Amino acid sequence: MAGGRQLLLTLLGVLLGATTLVAQGPTGTVTGRVIDGATLQPLEGVTVTIAERGALTRADGRYLIVGVPAGPQTLRARVIGYAEASLSVVVQADQTLTVDVVLSAQALELQDLVVIGYGERRQRDMTGVVQSVTSSEFNTGRVISPEELIQGKVAGLQVIDTGEPGGGISIRIRGGTSVNASNEPLIVIDGVPMPTANRQSGNGGLSAGRNPFAFVNPEDIESITVLKDAAAAAIYGANAANGVLIITTKRGSPQAPRFSYSSSASASSIVRGPNMLNAQQFRDVVAEHAPNRVSMLGDSQTDWQDAVLRTGAGQEHALVMAGARDNMTYRASLGYLGQRGIIRGSMTERISGSLNYSHYFLDQRLNLRANLRGARTHDDFTPGGGLGTATVYDPTQPIRTESGYYEREGVALTPANPVAELAQGSIDGTTTRGVGSLELAYQTPFLEGTTATLRLARDVARSERLTIMPPEMFWQQQQGERAGYWGRSRPRETSSMIDTYVNHERRFGLGSSFDATGGYSYSIADGEYPFSERFGTVNPEPVEEVERFGGRETKLASFFGRTNITLNDRYLVTLSVRRDGSSRFGPANQWGTFPAAAVAWRLSEEPFLPLPATVSDLKLRASWGINGNQAIGDYLWAPVYQPGDEFTQVQFGEEFVRTIRPSAVDPNIRWEETTSYNFGIDLGVFDDRITGSAEYYLKNTDDLLFVVPVAAGLYVSNTVLTNIGSVRNQGFEVTLNARVLDGSRGGLGWTAGLNAATNRNELIAVNPVAGGSEQILTGGIAGGVGSMIQVLQPGHPVNSFFVYRHRRAGDGRPIFSDQLLDMYEDINGDGIINQNDRVPFRNPAPTWMFGHTSRFDYRHIDLGFTLRAHLGNWVYNNIASSQGYYNRLNEQGGPYNLHASVLESGFQTAQFFSDYYVEDASFLRMDNITLGYTFPRLRGQREIRVSGTVQNAFTLTGYSGVDPEAGLLGIDNNIYPRSRTFTAGVNVNF
Amino acid sequence: MYKKLFLTLAGAAALLLGAACTDITTEPKVGEAGGTAFDRPEAYREFLAKLYAGLAVSGQQGPAGMGDIALIDEGFSQYVRGWWQLQTIPTDEAVIGWGDESLPELNTMAWGSANRFIQAFYYRIFFQIALANEFLRETSDAALATRDVSAQLRADIEQYRAEARFLRALSYWHGIDLFGNIPLVRETDNLGVRPPDQSTRAEIFSFIVEELNAIRSTLPAVGAAQYGRADQGALLMLLAKVHMNAEAYGLGAQYAQARMALEQVIGSGAYQLAPEYMRNFLADNHTSPEIIFPIPSDGMRTRSYGGTTYLVQAAIGGTMPRDDYGVGGNCCWGGLRTTQQMVALFGGEGGPDVRNSFYYTTGHTEEVTALGTFTSGYAAPKYRNVTSTGEPGSNLEFPDTDFPMYRLADAYLMYAEVVLRDGGGDPALALQYVNWLRERAYGNTNGNITAEELTLELVLAERARELFWEGHRRTDLIRYGLFTGSEYLWAFKGGAVAGQAVSDHLKLYPIPASEMLANPNLTQNPGY
Repeated sequence: MAGGRQLLLTLLGVLLGATTLVAQGPTGTVTGRVIDGATLQPLEGVTVTIAERGALTRADGRYLIVGVPAGPQTLRARVIGYAEASLSVVVQADQTLTVDVVLSAQALELQDLVVIGYGERRQRDMTGVVQSVTSSEFNTGRVISPEELIQGKVAGLQVIDTGEPGGGISIRIRGGTSVNASNEPLIVIDGVPMPTANRQSGNGGLSAGRNPFAFVNPEDIESITVLKDAAAAAIYGANAANGVLIITTKRGSPQAPRFSYSSSASASSIVRGPNMLNAQQFRDVVAEHAPNRVSMLGDSQTDWQDAVLRTGAGQEHALVMAGARDNMTYRASLGYLGQRGIIRGSMTERISGSLNYSHYFLDQRLNLRANLRGARTHDDFTPGGGLGTATVYDPTQPIRTESGYYEREGVALTPANPVAELAQGSIDGTTTRGVGSLELAYQTPFLEGTTATLRLARDVARSERLTIMPPEMFWQQQQGERAGYWGRSRPRETSSMIDTYVNHERRFGLGSSFDATGGYSYSIADGEYPFSERFGTVNPEPVEEVERFGGRETKLASFFGRTNITLNDRYLVTLSVRRDGSSRFGPANQWGTFPAAAVAWRLSEEPFLPLPATVSDLKLRASWGINGNQAIGDYLWAPVYQPGDEFTQVQFGEEFVRTIRPSAVDPNIRWEETTSYNFGIDLGVFDDRITGSAEYYLKNTDDLLFVVPVAAGLYVSNTVLTNIGSVRNQGFEVTLNARVLDGSRGGLGWTAGLNAATNRNELIAVNPVAGGSEQILTGGIAGGVGSMIQVLQPGHPVNSFFVYRHRRAGDGRPIFSDQLLDMYEDINGDGIINQNDRVPFRNPAPTWMFGHTSRFDYRHIDLGFTLRAHLGNWVYNNIASSQGYYNRLNEQGGPYNLHASVLESGFQTAQFFSDYYVEDASFLRMDNITLGYTFPRLRGQREIRVSGTVQNAFTLTGYSGVDPEAGLLGIDNNIYPRSRTFTAGVNVNF
Repeated sequence: MYKKLFLTLAGAAALLLGAACTDITTEPKVGEAGGTAFDRPEAYREFLAKLYAGLAVSGQQGPAGMGDIALIDEGFSQYVRGWWQLQTIPTDEAVIGWGDESLPELNTMAWGSANRFIQAFYYRIFFQIALANEFLRETSDAALATRDVSAQLRADIEQYRAEARFLRALSYWHGIDLFGNIPLVRETDNLGVRPPDQSTRAEIFSFIVEELNAIRSTLPAVGAAQYGRADQGALLMLLAKVHMNAEAYGLGAQYAQARMALEQVIGSGAYQLAPEYMRNFLADNHTSPEIIFPIPSDGMRTRSYGGTTYLVQAAIGGTMPRDDYGVGGNCCWGGLRTTQQMVALFGGEGGPDVRNSFYYTTGHTEEVTALGTFTSGYAAPKYRNVTSTGEPGSNLEFPDTDFPMYRLADAYLMYAEVVLRDGGGDPALALQYVNWLRERAYGNTNGNITAEELTLELVLAERARELFWEGHRRTDLIRYGLFTGSEYLWAFKGGAVAGQAVSDHLKLYPIPASEMLANPNLTQNPGY
């Protein structure tokens, strides 16, 4: 069989050579041998090119290229797994030049070969929209969760963090397609899809901590590939409607054992907090607007925000051992991360480990790969109101009195001293999670080019969250005999998966190839959520655990197939189909089929098109596909009777009876489907020194899984989850990458990347029967009870703000009046201001997102930065609205501090729904600046790099609140304040 | 070579094995599957309990969680709170200070079809109706025939079904009283997903009367039911209420029918006036002999943010001494007060009539001049979480106090009114009933009235004094033609501080905008 392969390689070599037989003028011959620099062994299958001619090396590493035009030329040798070599040679006419090339291995370089789900493909041959970010391009500094690595790097990808170190992160790729199902992309780690959001746990699986992905040490990640359009994502049909993030971890490289150690330390501090009145201002407004409460004021000057905040500090260590021997490669890593949050008492600590092993058996035909990854994460949370309470707490009161913490005693509805709460209570969560996978890939001997793969994976998460509120806490004291609280939840989730697939690949002459992949996947996930709590004590005994949410079980079975056809290196076609069966739907609707097709045309290879020589690549792409979304809770199709708890019993005489309630379900719910179209163009000029692409996409989501109001009397509820309504997202994306300065010969190197994306989201319809004016309120805010500031209304973006139009005075300030008609515009003209006068106005999603990355290299110094900007994202300043009116001083048991906006607005009463509080939060942020220095190699090939990073260096914005990136919903209500972080790191390779 | 063969075969086997496994069915682990829930005989009683729970709590977790109604804060969606607010907040009985969305408009009668409290209670009514329908379907002869049901259980279920139909009729009455023409959905209407048609107020009125007459003999005798459950006493009170308001609904005077029902309630001797008026509003009011149909609350077992939790907590705030009301900790929401018009009905506060003895006036003005200021208007904490012996309830946040939906004093005053409205009956008895209430209020006969003083106007005023904050006022004012128009003004009626005339269309609430969209068969009430 070895002979057959040899033949194929030779054939290919000839073909490559044959395409250039038309060359004219004097020519020479180039020959030589390519070897591995470390092992000095010959390398087979290396592509050697010179002057548009090429050859592949044979088993002995030799190559031969004839007909090379005489003169100075550049010879290039490249193969997967090695750094490309490029040599300047001078070819003499009618002579044979011998050039031996030494290639040095490097970690799998993915820039060229991109993982696409059940396979890999050359970036150049991509028909769908796939963008890969490799480790060298990752964001640096204090990075706790993998998603942070690519923030600002990918057009149309929005990473929405909470500003909290290690906090939960949301991702949107090209806007949200759904309303009630999850809008998070599917995340696949080394081929293993992570659990999607369900009722009990967030996207990515279970965590009692802040972020379920915190179990992956960012240091271990080699690349993150984003599948953006339907055609690319369709192979993951289920849950692919929101795109896919494929995380590939680092593997051992074919090199001698290598150790590396990296370490960093960081310090962070708050940039901007809510703008509240200081003690003197507060005293003044109380005297004026709540004179009968002046007596409740103290005589201190306390900055409560300052009292609960501190300088955050973190450290991180990672030790990696990687190497190769004979037929195996391995990589093992150990990591530690400790992060002290900027709010007192908040902390994250993680110990992680990973093991990556690959072994070839049977003449390299069988590859066994094992991945084992685990982490134990411990999070300390802040009990009580924390920063929120500190924001509103009376600044004239002291933190402590002689008898202990100050508390406002004997007054109803007064918050507890936030400093005391942080000191006395505790909430901490510990999550232990491990993901293991085993992969067997076998190249069949009987049909060349055929590989069969079997992958088994298991994901186990065990979590414990403990809440202890001792009886001396202010709130507990109010509970009398029930003072003191102990509560513990111990959720457990497990999932198992099996994937099998066969790939067949065949190459034909003239850059034509065909490959086909077919497979099957089955996964099963279950969870239990035991919970116990005790009142009136902090002693947990005896523990009585109850199942709080009910356990769950999810099953997903899938068949998939894909074929790629390339003709003449010019015409590329990808067809794929996936059929998914999900337990989340009733028996009649479990299965869904998701097809996709994509075509590409490489114009730059067309002989008839007279492109200027500077154009090195020009490709047009078009794709269409349907993806599904099933990221809803389990059993939502199944009519069940839900038991009531002990506090909803009903008195029947002397007896109390527990209840059961029939659920209101639509048993016919089925897959939510998104149909996407994408048109793109790829361009490379100056030998791909500048590359770029532009995309237009349209995503129509129909049969939304949507909780909608139903006609009264139809169901035992006023809403039901059903397939109704549609959402549309459309937008443009542009990506440009350039090696502006080459950096050759020790000069200055500069590579720059720019991406821009615009997305327009629109809710097309809720209930087609109802016409167009449905308004479903969403977006809960602080202020009042059950207040909501956003709306789902056809014709407007999902979660548009829903406000009264505030009349403005000549100076632009909002008018305040006792008469609502003087204050707000009477939209429907009925002479009354009520809910019917609220209108959709702006929305929190940015209309434009920009990212710019630059990296400069000069000798041993490197400097990189990432700039990020959003335009047209609007934020509701909830702290201003809930604390920005004078009557607030008279509400509750004692006066709360006011937001400084009241000094401008002069509002006497609450105007929660005024558009005054909806602000343009466009911003430009210097996300990251890193300066590094790599010491010249010392003896023993030791490499040392030191670096310093500033994250969130500065932000330019007109937004008046805490942070223009106020989470997914754009509601700025005591969000965790974003900090500026300084990190110093050192990296040593042995 | 064998190794290769083996591996190839193993790979193929794995593929086949995997391909064979497409089983993706799961059994719900939450609650009981619909098909097996009734394997347990107790399930019928637990389901019936949910019908009552629909009046008492807001969801399957107390005080909140797994709510029955969506689209609004769960506490706002509770039945008693919803009914009480729509019946009380727009009237002279109360003002509320919170700026929660849609709430001030209830006070100022500026509501529109998007008002969320109106929406929530409309849905709460139909939650009860749909729940009762589902219960009736699951307990139909056909359904029971498929299950193993003992003879004793079958007999119990007979009564359960009558109770379900009573509760459905009760909600239908609330529905037509507040909204006029609404859909009539019965257990036999196999709707599928087709939205129901709108029925007229008259059609539903007839349905209620027919239903009540049909189930009457299946319910326990007057006063014979377990506490908290419906018997013929509750049924007759509902029947009397329905007939009493027929004329106001444009269905002709039916006072005689109301009188007959009331005579059976009063004549049964099953109820007596509690010796002390306040006894009906305390944590141990389940021991009051006067209550005909309560919605029970319990600090340890029946919790919500509606019901009497709301009625106790929202009425106290500021500097009011919380111990007096049996609350602590998370207490004192400071929202509800009463108007000067109510105070005037007693000739000011501090008089001999105990029925306003609970006013809290320290730091409060009598006149309401600002809705948002808790001290503008007297606090009127009528419901308290302390027992008749002064002990606090079992929990300091969630009262034990039951909501007295129907009580004997109401029956007395209704009787007096139907007599005056030519519904027949005995005028002397009517006078006697009114004077019994006044004697209890004054502690002596000083407040008694004469036959000449017993007028319709007096009955209305007496109802305001006696039944203050019990959820009757809007219906009463409409019956007297005073709710809308300019004849009677009170603080913030129509939004003006001193009150102003409002349009007659406000006698009906709008059908919620969301319902109008979801059900294209409906016609909106005039004026909205």
